[in-house]
Amino acid sequence: MTTENTATEQETPADDEQSDSLVTTDPGKGGLSENDDRGAVTTADTIIQSRDLDVFYGETQALQEIDLAIPENQVTAMIGPSGCGKSTFLRCINRMNDLIDIARVEGELTFNGKNVYDDDVDPVALRRRIGMVFQHPNPFPKSIYDNVAYGLRTQDKTDDMDEVIEESLKKAALWDEVKDRLDESALDLSGGQQQRLCIARAIAVDPEVVLMDEPASALDPIATSQIEDLIEELAEEYTVVIVTHNMQQAARISDKTAVFLTGGELVEFDDTDKIFENPDSQRVEDYITGKFG
Amino acid sequence: MATQTETGFGQVSRLQGTVFKYLTFGASLVGIFALGVLLAYVFWDALGLDSAGTVWYLTYTVTLLAPLVGFLAYARDRPEVTAGALEVVGLTLAGGMLSFAAIIVLIVIAGPQVWFTYFLTVVAPLVGLFLYGQYNREATWVGLAMLGAVVVGPIAGTLLLGTFGTVAALLGAPGVYFLSLVVPGAGLAAFLAADRFEASRRVTATVGVVLPVLAIAGVPLVDTVPVLARSVWFAVLVILGLPVGYAVANTARQPARRAALALPAIAVGGFLVGEFVVGALGAAQPSPWLDWQFLTSPTSSLPANAGLYPAVIGSVFLIILVSIFTFVFGVGTALYLEEYAPASGLFGTATRLINVNISNLAGVPSVVYGLLGLGIFVNINVQFGPVVYAGIGAGTVLTAALTLSLLILPIVVISAQEAIRSVPDSLRQASYGMGATRWQTIRNVVLPRSLPGILTGTILALGRAIGETAPLIMIGAVGTKYTPPGGLFDTLTAMPMQIYTWAFLPSEEFRYGVVAAGVVTLLIVLLSMNSVAILVRNKYQQEAY
Repeated sequence: MTTENTATEQETPADDEQSDSLVTTDPGKGGLSENDDRGAVTTADTIIQSRDLDVFYGETQALQEIDLAIPENQVTAMIGPSGCGKSTFLRCINRMNDLIDIARVEGELTFNGKNVYDDDVDPVALRRRIGMVFQHPNPFPKSIYDNVAYGLRTQDKTDDMDEVIEESLKKAALWDEVKDRLDESALDLSGGQQQRLCIARAIAVDPEVVLMDEPASALDPIATSQIEDLIEELAEEYTVVIVTHNMQQAARISDKTAVFLTGGELVEFDDTDKIFENPDSQRVEDYITGKFG
Repeated sequence: MATQTETGFGQVSRLQGTVFKYLTFGASLVGIFALGVLLAYVFWDALGLDSAGTVWYLTYTVTLLAPLVGFLAYARDRPEVTAGALEVVGLTLAGGMLSFAAIIVLIVIAGPQVWFTYFLTVVAPLVGLFLYGQYNREATWVGLAMLGAVVVGPIAGTLLLGTFGTVAALLGAPGVYFLSLVVPGAGLAAFLAADRFEASRRVTATVGVVLPVLAIAGVPLVDTVPVLARSVWFAVLVILGLPVGYAVANTARQPARRAALALPAIAVGGFLVGEFVVGALGAAQPSPWLDWQFLTSPTSSLPANAGLYPAVIGSVFLIILVSIFTFVFGVGTALYLEEYAPASGLFGTATRLINVNISNLAGVPSVVYGLLGLGIFVNINVQFGPVVYAGIGAGTVLTAALTLSLLILPIVVISAQEAIRSVPDSLRQASYGMGATRWQTIRNVVLPRSLPGILTGTILALGRAIGETAPLIMIGAVGTKYTPPGGLFDTLTAMPMQIYTWAFLPSEEFRYGVVAAGVVTLLIVLLSMNSVAILVRNKYQQEAY
């Protein structure tokens, strides 16, 4: 793991040029970029924004009127007790909730200014621009190489595949450990290595956003700290949205923090320092100091 | 249950558990014992062992049994030798069964012209594409091209049957099988030598040349055996010879395993010595019902001349068709129900209704399916405008195959559903999260992972189909036929039908000897098909890590 350059990432907020280059360097990435009219974007550095977002599972309401603006090229953390809807919100962003028959979404969630729940948005094209890492490491029962190549092959990005795979594994800080055994099964890796492989797999296809659903909760402390270092490095290139149960983790790695509390309610969303040092809401303070939840 | 004593922690009674354990053990013994008795009884009759004299038994005990027991005692504490012996025996058996299946399918049923045509239009392109895909792993179009070849190949083959058939006729049957079996086999042998044994170029080239030379050199010898055709010799040489050669080479190059080669030496040597001694002493030998004549001749009014040949071909023909129908429709149904069908709403209710009905259909007696086959394939005459559908004939190959397919379809669907359901949802999520479509997820994640389970379920179901008699009786399959079926619309007899007919003949020799030989043949065919499928399954399990 390289930890030397993690301190610099806070000083690189996304500006107009960067968001512009993200759009123009990838003209072939599906149907969304043509909708990215910068004049229409509410704030220049907001990449994902939800307005009055309600989510229902059957009759149960999982999220209530969520208003949230996720900044580009920063780490945004979602914390809250179990069942508060933070994972649900994460899965709304890349429409993974579509896979659950009974899930129903109301309201608006925009990505680069385009509502992802519009009828003309293809969820598969959307997911190709928003990568995802899950709670439990879930590599495919294939070789390490084939795992990273999976997204490239499904998206027909097979030019210079060896280089892209090497690059992704380096970014995920896994290359040195696996470079001599790319043909071996990914299931032979340790849990922490598997999770880094899943991160490499997600970033190999060069998404704009990486969603992480409690990526370190199934790992030991050393693997967790490696993943955390990695997340901070990733924020230089990607927008990272991470759900976590671990409040210290959120405080360590995130720039913005959203606190969800029971009932699918977004109680407070602000800079991480503010949330952890001087939250507006008494309920948030109680939760963070451990009085409840 | 616990009783506290002053000296320790006391004792917890395990009486009920112990009783239960031995009851379950007894229950499993009863089943295995019954099957063992039946098999011993059938094999005893089929091989005619009761006519052998004491001298015969004594001779083989000394030449074959005693050395084998000695070898087993030697190998007991040497895992390497055991592993080597298992590899040699296993690959020999698998090769023998595969070549038996290949002879029936490629030489008897298909014949040189049909096989040559489909070899060129389907098999060769598929193998070529597969090899290219292995060589250039980034060519993602290969999978799609293979799928296309599966669809286009048979159509092209059917259209070009005349042309290629003429070419095949010019080449002659041995020529066709030399080109389609011996030449690729030599390539495979050379590849294995280079890839697995890291042989030098010269050795590799030698291995590649030896097989064709051996094939041609064996021809004069083969011609002296009246029943053995050159085509059969080529098939056996490649399909049996390659695995055996591989096993022997693999064993011989590992010093710790080398002793395992004593096993085939003992088996072959002991048999030859035993034959020589028995012949010299003039001892009474067993008179097996199951012999070469039994396998190659049709039934007869004389038990000694009766054979199972048309029924073996008919059964294998049936099972090939049934496996194609049930695999395509069964796996298709299971995939739709598990991966595509909605789980909620009105359609969700319909899906659940279908699932419940499939489970119920799996339990419907086979005679009812026979009646269904009789109704929709035989005794029917409906008119759709100008088109009249009057069934596909009583007792034809196609009618029998479709009826048996209907019979086992629910079992195939249920087992395939189980296999698909056992694929962890986290893998599907990972695939969808990568921006894969549903089809890409099924193709790359769900199917590879569930295929071993699907194949296992299909094999078990096919085992049921091959032994079914009632549906065949219902659709009017004949009990006695003197020629193998010539096509899809020709009538057939299958092994269970023929055995059933023999069992009611007045002669005792029919009812015991010939029936036993038929049953043993049925079991061997069943095992050979299973072994093919198990090989495929193991291959996929290795690929899936």
